[in-house]
Amino acid sequence: MIDDARRRGCRNQNWVGGDPIPHIPFWLRVLLYEKENMPVFFNTNGYYTIEAAELLRGVVDIYKIDFKYGNDECAKKISDAPRYMEVITRNLKLAKQYGELLIRVLVLPNHLDCCLAKILEFIAKELSPDTRVNLMDQYTPHWRARELPEINRRLTALEWKRALEMVREFNLTNVIT
Amino acid sequence: MWFFYRPDAASALEDPGVLKALPRYVDIVKNRKLAKFKIARMIGIEEIPTENLKELWEIHKKAMDEYQRLERLLDYGKIKPSELPNFSLLHLKSAIADKLLESCILCEHRCKKDRSRGNLGYCKVGKEMFVSSYFDHVGEEPEIVPSFTVCGRVDRPN
Ligand code: SF4
Repeated sequence: MIDDARRRGCRNQNWVGGDPIPHIPFWLRVLLYEKENMPVFFNTNGYYTIEAAELLRGVVDIYKIDFKYGNDECAKKISDAPRYMEVITRNLKLAKQYGELLIRVLVLPNHLDCCLAKILEFIAKELSPDTRVNLMDQYTPHWRARELPEINRRLTALEWKRALEMVREFNLTNVIT
Repeated sequence: MWFFYRPDAASALEDPGVLKALPRYVDIVKNRKLAKFKIARMIGIEEIPTENLKELWEIHKKAMDEYQRLERLLDYGKIKPSELPNFSLLHLKSAIADKLLESCILCEHRCKKDRSRGNLGYCKVGKEMFVSSYFDHVGEEPEIVPSFTVCGRVDRPN
């Protein structure tokens, strides 16, 4: 199935479908049958353990990681992800070391100073200013947002403008929007 | 099955921003380098007599040292791809991953559910991963399309 895809000109295997983390055992089995030279692409929220990172090392060619929050409080409140900062920053550093890294940043309304600024600062200082970052303004409120009024709306034009200013302030040089 | 092809995808590979971020990826697509899993598949491991997770990780650690050495040699064209062993580092990874399902700690919720018996974790995923649909996916970054996307469906309790 995946071999067919490569023959038709597909460039990589893109592991999605909710987050792929719980499905790592399944995917490793699939790869045992894969014959083509196809890059493996791991598209994730980045909330995986060091053990999972070890399994992915030497398997995943490109890590595409969502970097969503800039502090533990927001991560806990919105995504129920305790110790988010410790985990995401560790995994971003490991991904850069073990493979090639793309970061996706979805700008959340009302979370520019508490989250976006911290995210961009980490990328610029701890990874590298030329890290490839996909900055996105497409946030739409989902079902849980109703309980959280602060993110129960789309981004405003003013917020987006401010987000782009922040990118310049941190001298990030490889950002696509 | 749908197949999408974005005409700008090929030219995106020449985009300096992409080349800078993903040079090795570009080399794999152009068949100048091997995808990492192909290299892991080349590293032979003597059949593992142990079920002990700690020992499996120790074998894994040694094999990963070998992996790094081999990737460098292959990338620089110092050696040619070797014959495939019966049991490889990739098999070992798969064995460890299956073992981890008995007390799952794949994500940082570390809920330790025994998914091998079909119990669902915090993530609502159990034992089976059904490939319920698959399609060639057009994503938001031109450099990674067309890519082959497999969508999974999570287990539902009966
Ligand atoms: S939430 Fe899912 S992936 Fe995370 S540890 Fe539990 S079963 Fe594993």
